[in-house]
Amino acid sequence: MKNPVYTFEKLKFASFEFTCCEGCQLQLANREASLEAFFSLLDVRTFREISSEKHDDYDIAFVEGSISRSDEIERLLAIRRQAKTLVAFGTCACFGGVNSLKNRFPIKESIAEVYDGLPVETLPVRKISDIVKVDLSIPGCPVAKEEIERIVVNLVTGSLPAMPKYPVCVECKERLNTCLFDLGEICLGPVTRAGCSAVCTSGKTPCLGCRGPAEDSNFPAFMELVKERGLSRRDLQEKLGFYNAFEAYTVHET
Amino acid sequence: MHDMRFAIPRQDLNREAFASSVPDFNRKSEIMKTDTGYKCRITNIISLTDQEMLFQLRIADPRERSIFRFKPGQFLMLELPGYGDVPISISSSNSNHEFIELCIRNAGHVTSALFRTEPGMHVAIRGPFGSSFPMDEMAGHHVLLIAGGLGIAPLRAPLFWINEHRDRFREVHLLYGAREPSQLLFSYQFEEWKAISHIQLHTIVEQAGPEWKGETGMITRLFDNVSIEAQNTYAIVCGPPVMFKFVCSHLDRLGIPMNRMFVSLERRMHCGMGKCCRCMVGSTFTCIDGPVFDYWSVMNLKEAI
Amino acid sequence: MIYRVISKPEFRSFIDALVQANSSFGPRRVDTAANGDPVYQFMPVGSADDIEFDYTTTASSAKHFFLPFSEELSRFCFHERDWEQKISYEAQPVVLIGLRACDISALNILDDVLLKGNYPSPYYLAKRKNTFVIGMDHLPLPGCFCKSLAHHTVSTGFNLFCSDIGEKYYLSINSSKAFNYLKDFQTEEPSYEDNCLLTERRKLISRSFQTEVDVTSLPSILDIEFDSPVWEKWGTKCLNCGTCAMVCPSCYCYSVEERFDIDLKGASRNRKLYSCNLVDFAVVAGGHNFRPKNGDRLKYRYYHQHRGFAENGNQQICVGCNRCGRACLAGINPRDVINDLRMEKDSCMICVSQSPGRT
Repeated sequence: MKNPVYTFEKLKFASFEFTCCEGCQLQLANREASLEAFFSLLDVRTFREISSEKHDDYDIAFVEGSISRSDEIERLLAIRRQAKTLVAFGTCACFGGVNSLKNRFPIKESIAEVYDGLPVETLPVRKISDIVKVDLSIPGCPVAKEEIERIVVNLVTGSLPAMPKYPVCVECKERLNTCLFDLGEICLGPVTRAGCSAVCTSGKTPCLGCRGPAEDSNFPAFMELVKERGLSRRDLQEKLGFYNAFEAYTVHET
Repeated sequence: MHDMRFAIPRQDLNREAFASSVPDFNRKSEIMKTDTGYKCRITNIISLTDQEMLFQLRIADPRERSIFRFKPGQFLMLELPGYGDVPISISSSNSNHEFIELCIRNAGHVTSALFRTEPGMHVAIRGPFGSSFPMDEMAGHHVLLIAGGLGIAPLRAPLFWINEHRDRFREVHLLYGAREPSQLLFSYQFEEWKAISHIQLHTIVEQAGPEWKGETGMITRLFDNVSIEAQNTYAIVCGPPVMFKFVCSHLDRLGIPMNRMFVSLERRMHCGMGKCCRCMVGSTFTCIDGPVFDYWSVMNLKEAI
Repeated sequence: MIYRVISKPEFRSFIDALVQANSSFGPRRVDTAANGDPVYQFMPVGSADDIEFDYTTTASSAKHFFLPFSEELSRFCFHERDWEQKISYEAQPVVLIGLRACDISALNILDDVLLKGNYPSPYYLAKRKNTFVIGMDHLPLPGCFCKSLAHHTVSTGFNLFCSDIGEKYYLSINSSKAFNYLKDFQTEEPSYEDNCLLTERRKLISRSFQTEVDVTSLPSILDIEFDSPVWEKWGTKCLNCGTCAMVCPSCYCYSVEERFDIDLKGASRNRKLYSCNLVDFAVVAGGHNFRPKNGDRLKYRYYHQHRGFAENGNQQICVGCNRCGRACLAGINPRDVINDLRMEKDSCMICVSQSPGRT
């Protein structure tokens, strides 16, 4: 490709959606300034949002959304068979996302409430890695395009597609934000993986942990902190459960 | 009214000296490249094992090549533009002013990208950085070189030195251990070391098939084959941290003074200049106070091994 | 150093002129905390009216003007089977108004670390030289303990330092530039009364400290207590969030990352301020983490802050501003940690002194 020193190949790329809002895929078309450069890294084989062409000879598949129907399982297995690299793309794919809220109710109740009793097949929501092996997870609701650009460049150049291991607080402090705890809020920033440039907390919206837990989070200390600040364990569970991204902790702590 | 725009032209950076007085960084970085690297051409890549390769580099600019000097034991930061840089100890002779050799293991994303390079491509090096083995102080003594696995890489520079100044040293033993025979690096040089350099080479592997005729076991077993005059011996130990502990305490029992045992520590340096603090061990920087430490210092470093 | 006094209205017009001609930053109130306390940060200012001259302290330090949270160290441009490395040490001139004595002390410490030794940092130097620093004294907050470290006063490292003596500011002029700027404004030689007022002011500041941290022989205690259970105890509280290092005026550890541009025509080598509290700070090639436990990492921050490293003459780099203590959600602060460590030591000393021979 364009780099004169190294030889790089375009990624034979496909993008798929399951149960989701397709907002993460829409992010791929964001950031106009670098859009042309971004797409020249990709040989788009299938991507419903931007192209009507459809080819099955892709190497890397971005999969957005969670799994909530049996036909989705079939489709996902087929993608896994074809893709050399399968990327769980966005919070729904990585953790189940907002869709997982459904799992708190009996299926029958959800169908009755949402579809007014129409005969609809729906399963409890599962994340992509519950069904198939995932090679790379890129969380975010929605994903951060800047991070996607970096990861795609890394995949093309054969560098390590690394994500920050530390929590959102680092990026929040870089932006000189006032800590939302000091403003009387409960924020999941201290236990959530960074990489979002603290976009929510910079707008004074407490973090809800869409990027999942930071590595080696000190969860007991965080629980202690939250208790001290007067939030009940139930309310905390509510926050942690929002994106289903702290599954390990919520199950463990209740 | 005065022009109150506060601006100092770039060339005047040193003039307004309200801060602490500042050393002449320009002169220093002229001699020892710190931020800008020396551009090097990869002249040869020799595959040693499936995990280790020997890279031969040549500094592209003749003037830069003529000023680049290092001491055995020092390391440099090898930069592959776009991928990043990694600390690598220098494996060649410091009297070789034409080429630099680096023995590299495929261990991270920079090194794996390096493994995809080809001769003719350009990389950059910064440095040399760090402390070195006290070759002059060692003269007149027996020398024990002890290497485990990739630890032979930093030992190769002192080996070359000894080879080039063989008459200054008394008995020289190289004790070299690896996991299996195929992982003994530089085996093509073994005969040369033995015959030309008069180095007594003892090898051992942890596990081997029936075709292996040499010793098997832990490296400390080789001490049974070596009789040394402890009071007149210097030792250099390079290898994985676990090996230091065993080998150095063994040498200690043999009676080699702690300040005559040298080890080369390994950490992930980011700057090489004692600034980023990534490589600090206790209150010491591996990049400027090390990587070569005597065992007495290492004993006094918290978390060293 | 030249000393002058200036009336407060005249000082404001001086600041106005300076601020209007330069890219300037000063303390501004950005929020009100839930407990009613104002929150200040160094923010861009356009006139003297924007500046809170009587602010307490900023939540984050002024460090990032000299050591940006993220900074490009060099750039590679690829062309014709080859590449070229480009480095720029240039810095935009900046006026910084209202730094506290401890903040300036922290800059002096950074000068020691980053400008002395074999490898002075031209990146830092360019910014340091191109920044006009105006200091202002203040009364300590309850948690401030800079006096314990003798950083509640400062005598170098600034262009101009202002002490509030009621109707006037007492100016310590430490650079020809500051002196020249002030020529256009009405200043006077300090009178006997002004000098008395300055002494009073200094005494008042000195008297107002509510927090004291005993730092005598702390380096040695830190060495001896390397394996103390105190680290484990505070480590279990630590969230590993790195906030302490981000707001600290003297934490300078960093990480270097390199990445290709999106168009693959170039690559940049970046420095990012990091913290020894972050989980992967001591990870080496192959993935081994030399400090896998919270307590180990927390200990290292204290070790660095209060033991000091050979590279900067083993001096302690903490200036006692307590920003980390205020910002820490887990309630970890230098006073309590150091006192705890000392208690450990003291309790040992009790056993020793109870041994025979004691009267």
